[in-house]
Amino acid sequence: MNSTAQNPFPREIEPGSAEETLRLIASLPAPEGLEDRLRAGLSSRPRPGRVLAWPISLRLGGNWMRATAAAAIVFVVAGGGWGVYSHVQQGQSAKVIVLPPRTQAPGGFSSAGAMRTPRTLSGPVLKQPAEAQPSQAKPFKKKPAQAVRSIRRSPAAAGKAAGLPALPLAK
Amino acid sequence: MSTSQAVYAGWMEIPNSAVTGKDRQFADEEALAALVTQYASTLYRVAFSVLRNSADAEDAVQEAFLRVLRHRDNLDEVRDQRVWLIRIVWNIVLDRKRRARTRPETDDVAELARVLPSNGLSAEQVAAAAQHHARVLACVEQLPLKERRVLQLSAFEELSSVEIASILGITESSVRSRLFRARNLMAGMLNHARSLR
Repeated sequence: MNSTAQNPFPREIEPGSAEETLRLIASLPAPEGLEDRLRAGLSSRPRPGRVLAWPISLRLGGNWMRATAAAAIVFVVAGGGWGVYSHVQQGQSAKVIVLPPRTQAPGGFSSAGAMRTPRTLSGPVLKQPAEAQPSQAKPFKKKPAQAVRSIRRSPAAAGKAAGLPALPLAK
Repeated sequence: MSTSQAVYAGWMEIPNSAVTGKDRQFADEEALAALVTQYASTLYRVAFSVLRNSADAEDAVQEAFLRVLRHRDNLDEVRDQRVWLIRIVWNIVLDRKRRARTRPETDDVAELARVLPSNGLSAEQVAAAAQHHARVLACVEQLPLKERRVLQLSAFEELSSVEIASILGITESSVRSRLFRARNLMAGMLNHARSLR
């Protein structure tokens, strides 16, 4: 530093001149009035925000009132949280999917993606008459196709013939 | 009349805690004013060595003291206030330097010609000295960052290698090795610059 102060303008840059320059700069005095400006800047700084003080009437019994207010806040928050939690739980429990009942399409057609289709019958099933005695009645030897044909030609006759052992068919 | 009776009576509305807070605030401001008186010059020189601009350096010092004011509650826990303050202002100036554009060498010449002591020299001589120092500083700027920081801080004679290590957050041996490397690099660069002439 001293060499630079004595000879501040060396003609050539020497290897040690870098540190001399840095030392010269590091030793430069601070400008006049720096401290006063700093103090003025610090004193005129923006003040931090203040928390509003409690009113005098509330300040006297402030402890229990603060505790009550804090408990009320905790109660409201916890109650609200529990309400939301329980509501969400109920909504998630309904996981059963109810499918609408399948109806067979009219006209004998059915949907292609039917999972289960009842087996269709080839014709009406003839019932045994309730009043007929199994011992008196002769065995009915008519083929089911013939019975169906007779029912179609004359439903009334077919009804009557349902209990008769022998019925003359149309010739 | 006790304090509580006075409060009940309604004519005294300032609680004891407020008085204590004001006293404490006053004490903090006194302590801060003492710090400003003691270290403002040192902090300014540190800031100027990096920023090389008087106004910017002064702003950096101001910001450093504002940070101190924000953390005044921990002021008693600081072991070495000087190193702590230098570290604060060092971080501020590095941040500003990073954000600022690269300074042209002409700015350095002009600023150095303004702040360098004339010591009875002519204006031409002062300008020549400023130009020389600006060239040297331009070479310093070409050093790697780590080496450059150590070299800049080592220029402060009041800082020991332990204190430089504390400011930079490295070990003392790292400071020495980086300083050795910085000097070698600087010598090589200046020799190269001299051979080009």
